[in-house]
Amino acid sequence: MLPIILLSVFGIALLFLGFAKSKAILLPATLLFIAIAFGASFVDWGKNYMYFNDMLLSTNLSIAFTAIVLLSAFMVVSLSSSFLEDESAQPAEYYAIMLFSLVGAIMMISFENLIMLFVGVEILSVAMYVLTGSDKRNLRSNEAALKYFLMGSFATGIMLFGLALLYGTSGSFVLSDLRSYVNGGVAYGSPLLLYMGLLLLLVGILFKVSAAPFHFWTPDVYEGAPTLFTAFMSTVVKTAGFAALLRLLSFSFTGIYSFWGVILMAVTVITLVVSNFTAVYQSSFKRMMAYSSISHAGYLLIALTAVGQQSKQALVFYSLAYSVATIAAFGVLLVVSRHQSGEGKPTDESYDAFNGLARQNPLLGFIMTVAMLSLAGIPLTAGFWGKFMVFTTAANRGIFWLLVVAVLMSAVSIYYYFRVIIAMYLRDGQTTAIRVAPFYRYVLIAATILTIVLGILPNLVRSLV
Amino acid sequence: MNAAYVPSDYLPVFIQLILALGFIVTTMIVTHMVGPKRNSQKKDDPFECGIPVVGDARTPISIKYFLIAILFVLFDVEVIFMYPWAVNFKQLGVTGFLEMILFMGLLLSGFYYVIRKGVLKWE
Amino acid sequence: MQPTQQVLIPEVIQQIPLNYYLIFSTALFVIGIIGVLTRRNAIIIFMSIELMLNAVNMLLIAFSSYKSDPTGQVFVFFIMAVAAAEVAVGLAIIVMIYRNTRSIDIGALNKLKW
Repeated sequence: MLPIILLSVFGIALLFLGFAKSKAILLPATLLFIAIAFGASFVDWGKNYMYFNDMLLSTNLSIAFTAIVLLSAFMVVSLSSSFLEDESAQPAEYYAIMLFSLVGAIMMISFENLIMLFVGVEILSVAMYVLTGSDKRNLRSNEAALKYFLMGSFATGIMLFGLALLYGTSGSFVLSDLRSYVNGGVAYGSPLLLYMGLLLLLVGILFKVSAAPFHFWTPDVYEGAPTLFTAFMSTVVKTAGFAALLRLLSFSFTGIYSFWGVILMAVTVITLVVSNFTAVYQSSFKRMMAYSSISHAGYLLIALTAVGQQSKQALVFYSLAYSVATIAAFGVLLVVSRHQSGEGKPTDESYDAFNGLARQNPLLGFIMTVAMLSLAGIPLTAGFWGKFMVFTTAANRGIFWLLVVAVLMSAVSIYYYFRVIIAMYLRDGQTTAIRVAPFYRYVLIAATILTIVLGILPNLVRSLV
Repeated sequence: MNAAYVPSDYLPVFIQLILALGFIVTTMIVTHMVGPKRNSQKKDDPFECGIPVVGDARTPISIKYFLIAILFVLFDVEVIFMYPWAVNFKQLGVTGFLEMILFMGLLLSGFYYVIRKGVLKWE
Repeated sequence: MQPTQQVLIPEVIQQIPLNYYLIFSTALFVIGIIGVLTRRNAIIIFMSIELMLNAVNMLLIAFSSYKSDPTGQVFVFFIMAVAAAEVAVGLAIIVMIYRNTRSIDIGALNKLKW
């Protein structure tokens, strides 16, 4: 639990570093802080410890998720050098809020008491509301922030009502107490409260991870938010949310699988179908990525539906593959749109922005191609093994019809991922050579290499968890 | 402690309620009846002191008020964590005291940040 | 966590059955939901959300005193503190929008559409 304490302290330290004359120190300091927290999270590797009066539980699984979240944050922060050039930006505050939100994410990942789940969700969400609206003069950013805020706190209210009902029926917020209650313990209230409570809690968290039919806020928010924070949101929030769902469903509520299994299956199918078909009709790359993130929530839900030991591995691997590829894609978009605004053109976030990109910038084209292939789940990339492992869990559980839907939908997804690749290599465009800062380039290259290495040697990560 | 409440126990509550309502209603009626009434076009306009009405009544207020109100809400609510701590002060012992000092220290560092940002400067 | 703990419930509290609290909180919660879904003014939507949170607080306190278990009330403290932080951020967002558009009607926000 060292990372929670460290990140909180580092966050406050960053706020005060912001008073220093030079802003140049902020980026390296933030990267250093996240790296330290990353290292510190492995202190508890191999042990199962309860922390803070049984509030948080540290296991290998939670450490793996923590590491993924911290890695995504590291990559996102390292792409953030544009803050330092922007006059109105307040980098110290952005970085501090990001670190605080990581604290919330880690709490969601390793909670043992439902109070911690709530506090973690809120720390993460409130931080995200602020980051979404951080482009204060931009009406789109404002609108996204308000939508996200109103919808997000609405979801929080629903989740809280679920928690209250669960407390009312089981008499405890502790996961192990809930587990023994579900598996036939002494009841305080009617079992109806248990089912209603679990349903509302699920709705709340599914909202946060943007699964259909609770996804309607996602495209607007992802499009309106500054691209960098969209990358942060679509990776960190999703990973943390699924870790929380996994912890709840695979530990406490396995006893009533017949109840939530059906609900999750329905949500999964709706998510997969709606997101993939809507993504096809998008003209904006950022909106397409929003629907793509919804569809990946659908694939992750398959692993949850078929909950078991394998689904833990699958979730960890899939989150890692998805996060790395998403950040690489958003990183390229960020470079391209900054290049456009540098040339005085209006920022274009549609597919056309990538027209002819690969001619003058083969490296950026390659990075984007690998990211898109990984998101589409083409062999020799990490995304393929992620999908493979997720589908295996469903097959082992015997849910074949779900598998058929998922495979069909990933075939649909190839269409909109390949549109980007086609635009880059086959379309004509005036994109000139883009100069990319060395560090930025290294991070993007590292993400690409990681995607390919995991695609060739998936056991590197799979054997760990 | 086993006495069930009978309806007559609520009598004081009702008397209080009737008194409170009665006071409001009576004052409203009495002021209307007793006060002098002179109606005219000028009288019924807002701002009757000779200057023609200008602009909207909802003028923008300084953002300072808003910031201070928000900060008040934030710091004010943290007090609720001190009530249970104060009640159990003896049982919690030195550890509890140190933990509360840490908590207050975090709040204070936030307060210091607010001051350094110049939020509380009026000029 | 045995049902024998029921003895500890103060008799005064037992005057009102737990179900009444449940129904009352649910009613408040539903009023909040209806408010969120039907109103167009951002501030009123926000107030409805606060109403939902307070319905939850009410329910938690009722459960907590019926079980003679303080955890529920501790949770209420956390909800209140977190809600205050949320209010601060939410009002800041609403003020930011008001300064840019001179309106807080959510109908005016239609820049983002598919």
